[in-house]
Amino acid sequence: MTTHAQTTDVETSAITLTGITKSYSAASPAALREVNLDILPGTSTAIVGPSGSGKSTILRIIAGLEDANGGQVRLSGRDVTALLPEQRGISMVFQRPLLFPHLTVLDNVAFADRAAGLSRGQARERAREHLELVQMGAFASRSPHSLSGGQQQRIAVARALAAQPSVLLLDEPFSALDPGLKDEMHAMIASIREAVNPTILFVTHDRDEASAMAERVVVLENGQLLQHDTVDNVFHRPASLAVARLLGGKNAFAGEVRNGVHHSAIGAVAISSTVESGPATLVFRQEAVSASARVPDNRTDASPPVTRDSDATACQSRGPRELYGVVTSAIQRGPRRELLVRVGDAEIRTEAAPGNLLAAGDSVTVSLPCEALWTVLS
Amino acid sequence: MTAVQSRPRRQGMRATLLVLPAIIPVAIVVIGGIGTTVVQSLGLMPLVGTPALSVDAFESTDNLLGSALLSLGIAVVSTTIAAVVGFFTAVLIISGNWGGRIVGALSAAAVTVPHLVGAASVGLLLSDSGVLARILGIPPESWPALVAGPTWFAVIAEYAWKESAFVALIIVGTLATRITSYDETAAVLGASRGARLRLVLFPLAAPSLLVASAIAFAYTLGSYEVAWLLGKTYPEPLSVMALRLFNSASLTARPEAAAVAVITLLLTAAIVGVAMLGLRRMRAWQ
Repeated sequence: MTTHAQTTDVETSAITLTGITKSYSAASPAALREVNLDILPGTSTAIVGPSGSGKSTILRIIAGLEDANGGQVRLSGRDVTALLPEQRGISMVFQRPLLFPHLTVLDNVAFADRAAGLSRGQARERAREHLELVQMGAFASRSPHSLSGGQQQRIAVARALAAQPSVLLLDEPFSALDPGLKDEMHAMIASIREAVNPTILFVTHDRDEASAMAERVVVLENGQLLQHDTVDNVFHRPASLAVARLLGGKNAFAGEVRNGVHHSAIGAVAISSTVESGPATLVFRQEAVSASARVPDNRTDASPPVTRDSDATACQSRGPRELYGVVTSAIQRGPRRELLVRVGDAEIRTEAAPGNLLAAGDSVTVSLPCEALWTVLS
Repeated sequence: MTAVQSRPRRQGMRATLLVLPAIIPVAIVVIGGIGTTVVQSLGLMPLVGTPALSVDAFESTDNLLGSALLSLGIAVVSTTIAAVVGFFTAVLIISGNWGGRIVGALSAAAVTVPHLVGAASVGLLLSDSGVLARILGIPPESWPALVAGPTWFAVIAEYAWKESAFVALIIVGTLATRITSYDETAAVLGASRGARLRLVLFPLAAPSLLVASAIAFAYTLGSYEVAWLLGKTYPEPLSVMALRLFNSASLTARPEAAAVAVITLLLTAAIVGVAMLGLRRMRAWQ
């Protein structure tokens, strides 16, 4: 299996966490356990994980709102572990916009400059620029309570950017918004990145949001960092079965790798000769494999075929691996049609092509593209 | 009228009927009491003699202006001290550390002490032969006239102590659930403790501070027992004067007592009205 460690120079990292541990009480399990993390400047990184995995705790420790029990926080090479939040040069946007109700929209955005000692006029002048950045210039004189949730969150982002932070931390800022507004917010963040290119570290429980807003993803579970890698790698090249599960991967088949071929309940599937022989679990995402009603004349049963080819390039040279099975259930989820296909003694989760209304009992061909296949240590 | 249009009206009537049991007793006591006092002060309800509309009770009351100014002075000074001390006490309580918790418990305890008991305690503490003078070893002739003296120190101290605890608990009650979030937000925007106090905490506390101060002011202006126990006998605050005249052996003094009460009422209403106008202008209240 390949190694997914990211090697960066500590001095050039925007954020460096070294051995961060955190426990809220002696009786409760640790919220964070020896977390090491490097975030490069100008990148956008998502932290994903289940509830209680320590996602928000990481952000709060970086912001200085929580003290770590151990470890070190460095921002742009500077040790800020012992500094107060206001001394760290970061900004944070929370799940709720938390706009100050006693200030207008403009004065909310001007808050950081006012707190830094600028005159009201100067602060407001600079605030207008940031309001324009989030397309909210027309709302400058409004009260926060007169704005919708999405508009308030835009203002909260503008207010955070106006503080000119070295790092912008976002703690599930769009989780309370409806899908349409979320898309708008993602577009807004993209335009902000083009304009001012801040280093962004954000927490989300939405895998789609993580991939829409970030180049890299940090996966956490039970306070442990499981993987920090590119979006494509965490989804398609997970470091462990836990990562695959956490990111929504539903196909995992325990088996053994021999000479570049994985053998499991779905049969022999050629992968890559670089994978060491031994026990391994084959994983692939349900979205990456397709099912169609096309069934060869000589195979109408659901038994898996046997692959004898152990050549390193077998997978690439032969094209998608095809398995034959029977649909045992079909569930429509919005535009997608999720299928459960029995192949031999195993079941594969996949999706039907648009317009392909496969139903339970249909015989299908499941195509496994080479690039979708990955193995993790069992 | 359609059914859809009539539904809000029916709901409005139902809501009115539901609150009537609460409104009627209050209306009888407040409006009835005020009405009786006003009628009495204008000579329309004398204990003896023929009712006749006049403002004699207002004109014949001795040193009414002096008493009014004295009452206002005591109320303004004690309320101002209570507001300042109460605000910073609330800040300490909200901070959540052990010191804040102790101060919170002490404030809650102070609110439960009746003013009469508080006044007696302050008298025992601050009089020329009181506990403080004895602890400090200062003889009575050298001890300043804090009780029943010209500065009304003991009266103001008692009101300020009790009302500051009240102000603090009102502010804590309105801010406790949300101030941490706003404080953290301001901190991660680079605001120092001082800037957060000035730009966030005080503006957010201002509506409840104003309301609590208005209540404390109205109470201080209207209550008599503390000034009666700890103050000078002359000049006397409006509330003490009203009580003295009301209990007077002279039956003709009753309209004068009512006139003093009406003046007290007008002063209180004016101050509370100004406070409410100020409240409506506050963005944090909207």
